[in-house]
Amino acid sequence: MNLNELWTLLPLLILACGALVVLLLGAVEPGRHTTWTGVVCCCGAALWAVQTPPLVSVSFGMSDTPLVRSFILFFCLLAAAVLIVSLEYNEQRGIHGEEYPATILFVTFGMVAMAGATNLLVLFLGLETMTFGFYILVAIDLKRGTASEAGLKYLLLGAVSTGFLAFGLALLYFTSGTLESAALLKQCSGEPLAVLGWGFVLIGIAFKLSLVPAHFWTPDIYQGAPAPVVAFLSGGSKCATILFAVTLLSTIGNYSALRTPLLALALLSMILGNLAALLQKSIRRMLAYSSIAQMGYVALALLAGGAGGFKAALFYAFTYALMSLTAFGAIAVFERSGITDQLEDYRGGGCKEPFAAAVLALSMFALAGIPPTAGFTGKFMIFAAALRSGETAAAVIGILTAAASAYYYLRVVVNLYMLKPEKAGRIEISLAEKLVLSTAAILLVIFGLFPMLLDL
Amino acid sequence: MTMNILFYILAAVMIVATLLAITEKHPVHAIVYLVTSFFAMAGIFYLLCAPLVAMFEVIIYAGAVMVLFMFVIMMLDLGHPEEAQRPAFITWLVPLILTSLVLSSVVSAAVFRTFPGGSNVEITARAFATVLFGRYGVAIEIISMQLLFAVVGALYLGRKGGGK
Repeated sequence: MNLNELWTLLPLLILACGALVVLLLGAVEPGRHTTWTGVVCCCGAALWAVQTPPLVSVSFGMSDTPLVRSFILFFCLLAAAVLIVSLEYNEQRGIHGEEYPATILFVTFGMVAMAGATNLLVLFLGLETMTFGFYILVAIDLKRGTASEAGLKYLLLGAVSTGFLAFGLALLYFTSGTLESAALLKQCSGEPLAVLGWGFVLIGIAFKLSLVPAHFWTPDIYQGAPAPVVAFLSGGSKCATILFAVTLLSTIGNYSALRTPLLALALLSMILGNLAALLQKSIRRMLAYSSIAQMGYVALALLAGGAGGFKAALFYAFTYALMSLTAFGAIAVFERSGITDQLEDYRGGGCKEPFAAAVLALSMFALAGIPPTAGFTGKFMIFAAALRSGETAAAVIGILTAAASAYYYLRVVVNLYMLKPEKAGRIEISLAEKLVLSTAAILLVIFGLFPMLLDL
Repeated sequence: MTMNILFYILAAVMIVATLLAITEKHPVHAIVYLVTSFFAMAGIFYLLCAPLVAMFEVIIYAGAVMVLFMFVIMMLDLGHPEEAQRPAFITWLVPLILTSLVLSSVVSAAVFRTFPGGSNVEITARAFATVLFGRYGVAIEIISMQLLFAVVGALYLGRKGGGK
């Protein structure tokens, strides 16, 4: 190992050592500063990812291309933002302990490892490290039965999906005899066993992206887990899985055998997700079904592939993560005043808490795909790519369902601003929280107006 | 040729034992079938010129992990060992067949000592370690972090009622 390779691995090392330091610090002197230590580690890793020279280190299975670097930067900053948002929320919910920030760092470690991986083993391990951390994070609110229930459901279904993914990758390895992803994936696109392997991998990806019919875990987890964790799960985990899918699919070039299953996944998710979201009374469950629908659009982008589809999928991964962060960040702020996740409780939120309501409303506009937010630009790119690659019917269905989805997103805005509050209550928002949420909200608009800033 | 036959025998044993492990109602019996399956798998690894992996399979999976499973079952008192009776001969039959098959295959593999699949080179511990900690060094580190957080998560979630 030479120095350059060490530099490539340094973001990983910073995050891993950071997690250990946070654990030790918590044992010696527990308190809020463990969270701040986590934030500093994330920012340090992000800074390092920005400034190192690019390098592909074949011997360690890690690469450092500009795309990888932007994802590493993004994952680290997202983790820092989630840590800041969860400070007050956890205090109020009584989630103490250094395990929380340490596990967030651990999850980020998995994401970063996955982003840089050039061989399938590291890719798989990174993805599973991330999921593994989420098993803990989802159930971290020990006082609530719903959180434990959500954690158990996520663990069981996640274990099944891991099995599918591992089996699929094993079959791919079996057909090609190598684990290096680029070489492996080029070789095996036609053989029946490889197609079978791809099928299994696709099932695993569908689980992680919560595409219909592998979506059953989503509503319960979105409802039961702490709000900042949901922001991280919905933003980070899905963003990382999209990157995983794009990495695999973009290297094989021709994947006609996967076309039908991908199309089915995309159509089912778009239709079922949007229809189910229309009926929800709880804002969290509504956002869960909406995330299923949004991932349906991403599956459509993956289907469009070479015709700008991968680019659109990656762009949407970024923007969807920002939307989740703003939506669930604002929900975390609202829930501190003791309200439940029922939509009625958000009545008159605009008067009670103007800042959080504005952020929530903006993220709803973005999710609905209303210009000039990044949600619109992302959807535009996806549907344009789908039309270019000849998937006209799927694109039309996607556009129609996206139009229908405006109803339930705007219902939240109506509740926030056009209905009178039932009871008044004040929520204190710290400066750091305001900074994080407003930055994410501003980025949503900036990326909507200038998508070329995110040159993927 | 012998090795191919041995492979098919071991593979059949493995599949039968795994199926029995899944369908068996008694947890202790299920574990013993799983151990049988692991032993057969170790034999297959041996046939694939990987004696080291075969050894790991026996020591770690068939040995340590299964003993752990057994401990958990005993602790949760699912096995009801006090109700155990001397089993009838017919219940002995399947395990006996499986065991004798695995044992005879392993013995014959050890006696003939030719490896199938072109290369007759046995993978030594040194070669194994070079690849494992060289090319897959990052993977090892990731797994070690996973194990650490498995402990952290179990300790945290195992607390009663969320108290400190």
